[in-house]
Amino acid sequence: MEISTNDYRVWTEGSTIHYEGTMRLSGTDAYAPILEAMNSILASKPELITLDLTSLEFLNSSGINLLAKFTIEIRKQPEVGVRVLGSKSIPWQSKSLRNLQRLHPALELTIS
Amino acid sequence: MVEDYGITAAVNGADAKRFALKLMAEPLELSWHHCGVTSDFIGEYFSRACDGNVDPVDARHSISYMINEILENAIKFRKGGDIEIVGSLDGGTFEILIKNRIDARTAESFKGHLTKLLEREPGELLLERIEENALDPDSTGSGLGILTLMSDYEAKLGWSFASEHVTEGVELTTYASLRLS
Repeated sequence: MEISTNDYRVWTEGSTIHYEGTMRLSGTDAYAPILEAMNSILASKPELITLDLTSLEFLNSSGINLLAKFTIEIRKQPEVGVRVLGSKSIPWQSKSLRNLQRLHPALELTIS
Repeated sequence: MVEDYGITAAVNGADAKRFALKLMAEPLELSWHHCGVTSDFIGEYFSRACDGNVDPVDARHSISYMINEILENAIKFRKGGDIEIVGSLDGGTFEILIKNRIDARTAESFKGHLTKLLEREPGELLLERIEENALDPDSTGSGLGILTLMSDYEAKLGWSFASEHVTEGVELTTYASLRLS
């Protein structure tokens, strides 16, 4: 699966979802195709889902809401683990990703 | 009549480095795309003007993030008209004023939303709203931007609603400031 525009790219490799670029979509409806792709990975019930955000330079609050919604969906399935990879050189990640862990304490967050 | 919510007093003094920009409603047709390019431009502009003890990467991002969220609201809820932006930098404090016009109904609903929001600790309310949104498939997630700015960026925010001298609707000025580090 791959969703690609001039501003961003989202693609999956096994149970890893990669995000790249700048995502400033206009709200829940605009993010729906991306959430759908993420939910299809969850539906296959892998042992571990990895969200690789290390190349996602910018994500607006609607996009952060998308990650939060997905985290809550994963939380409902305790047999599915989740790991979030971030980068220290991208400021929004150090500021906002810890909220995902507050929503789901078993989420493994690595910002390196 | 003017009604204020949150912190609407200007933080930066007369000696601040100042910058003003007006996004004209015509002829380019203001759209969603303008939020990102405008906020990135102002972020870049002011991060270059920061003192040496401020991290320029963090300053550029934080300024851009804050302006983008407020402009997204301005574009989403405005009722025609231009959008005026005044930014200033005084020491390590960045401040922005964004002025746009909204209709009276939107203004009333926004005031109700702000009253509830300002009573609570933003980080706690942010998580509560995220949980509520997750349960409601029709939720638009609106309002999370303001809470994210207050909680994750420790931004100080204020809103001033002026219904005088506006031929149609209400003039909304959003005040936002950030301590850069």
